[in-house]
Amino acid sequence: MAEVTTERQPGAWERLPTRTRRVLSFAGVVASLVILWEGYKLIWNAFGWIEPVRPDNVVMPHTWDMVLELFQPVRRGGALLIVDLSSRSFWTLREALFGFIIGALIGFGLGVLFVRSTLAERAFMPYVVASQTVPILAIAPMVVVWGGALAITQWMSVAIIAAYITFFPVAINTLRGLRSPDPTALELMRSYAASPNEVLWKLQFPSALPYIFTALKVSATASVVGALIGELPAGFQNGLGRALLTFSQQYAVRSAKLYATVIICALVGILFVTVVTLIERRVIHETRQLEGDLETQRSATA
Amino acid sequence: MSLVVDASNVGKVFGSGDAQVEALQDISMEIRPGEFVSVIGPSGCGKSTLLRLIGDLLTPTSGTLLINGKTPLQARVDRDYGIVFQKSTLLDWRTVRKNVELPLEIMDIEERETSAAEMLDLVQLNEFGEHYPWQLSGGMQQRVAIARALAFNPSLLLMDEPFGALDEMTRELMQQEVLRIWDETDTTVVFVTHSIPEAVFLSTRVIVMSPRPGRISEIVETGLPHPRDEDTRESQQYYDKVTDVREALRHEEAKR
Repeated sequence: MAEVTTERQPGAWERLPTRTRRVLSFAGVVASLVILWEGYKLIWNAFGWIEPVRPDNVVMPHTWDMVLELFQPVRRGGALLIVDLSSRSFWTLREALFGFIIGALIGFGLGVLFVRSTLAERAFMPYVVASQTVPILAIAPMVVVWGGALAITQWMSVAIIAAYITFFPVAINTLRGLRSPDPTALELMRSYAASPNEVLWKLQFPSALPYIFTALKVSATASVVGALIGELPAGFQNGLGRALLTFSQQYAVRSAKLYATVIICALVGILFVTVVTLIERRVIHETRQLEGDLETQRSATA
Repeated sequence: MSLVVDASNVGKVFGSGDAQVEALQDISMEIRPGEFVSVIGPSGCGKSTLLRLIGDLLTPTSGTLLINGKTPLQARVDRDYGIVFQKSTLLDWRTVRKNVELPLEIMDIEERETSAAEMLDLVQLNEFGEHYPWQLSGGMQQRVAIARALAFNPSLLLMDEPFGALDEMTRELMQQEVLRIWDETDTTVVFVTHSIPEAVFLSTRVIVMSPRPGRISEIVETGLPHPRDEDTRESQQYYDKVTDVREALRHEEAKR
């Protein structure tokens, strides 16, 4: 027991359940941001400072005004902003989700192709990289025009734009992950005379999962951004991207509206990443969960 | 009875042109069924390369090599080899039992659970079937690797410095373990090591190799009685054979 007493006793914070700690730290960060924002306004106003950002209510509306704005009608006699943004979120999320799925599948496919064939990697990788240096604003109108010609619905065109920026991280990380097994593990599979498919599904794919999920989290946010941007050239009226555009034009009058919309966009992104993270926890690491169990057992016996 | 390994004038050259390196030269040897043969030599003598040639993980550039009377490729396709590396290379998302079942899944062998259970019994880890590899010590992980290598009953067990990463005590226990397993199965073993006592204690014959290019410089018959135990390690004959192998190695050193 001597060693135990030399250890630092857990404080009140450590004794709280993990979930409570998580909620509290999230609330803490939100509170700090609010305090920073309002504190800046207060101090800058008191001294009459206007650099670097003018602290008036147009450029920097009060945080509570942003929230209150959500419960104002969008326009006279219209629906509440939060209701309007919710239905827009649904559309944007749908575009982002489809784009994410299409992009992830293409990215995974490319990763598998490249790991199988160095020739294919050499041939196509430059184009894959080049595709990401072309601005999405240049690609999007083309997708929209082609989509129109092929009679693809508008929101699907937006999804394809989202897919365009989603597939890249998945392709790169899948390739990296599929190459991650130890060379001796590959020799082992060879000694079993395993087929390339068996090597892929029994060794390379499980080894690649942590890499793939890292990419999926990056792609989840990227696909939301892709959907928001894609809505503009597509002329899609029902999504959050359109709202961002409209409200930014009304910035001088009601800037809180734009900020409120930005917050909702951020929430959509967070929601998406959270879902991916939850799936990741389910898929990978039974082992890590077990580790967690051992941890609890250990603390229970201590 | 046909030979398990039949090598005549086998050579292996890596690379081409100026970058050519001759890893093995003129290797001829025969290994009979049920033998336990160690391959020993300083680093760079090509002992691991030799093991990889036998296991068809590499292809010889000259000479002929037959495994159970077949080409190494055919032997590999027929699943004649079980391999254990220095790293246990267990898949950490699979339980111990699932790791042992891996080759059986790939080979479409039925009754995997029974075989896996038998193998875990053999390496005395039956209580750890549902554990994950990272929950086991290095020695236990290596025992799982042995169980996995033997699960499909291969005729030839190839071991590449399997105990190289273990501490001395664990190592001696593992040697005992491997001899017991070798006794209980009818597997032929080729065992690469750089430890002289280990080679002598385990083997029926010790193949001593010398480097640059890798050649067989001497083959020492140990002739130690079976079963071998702690007393064997203290016997005069054991000391004599350790000395023989050491001198064979030193002899090579002096020639260069």
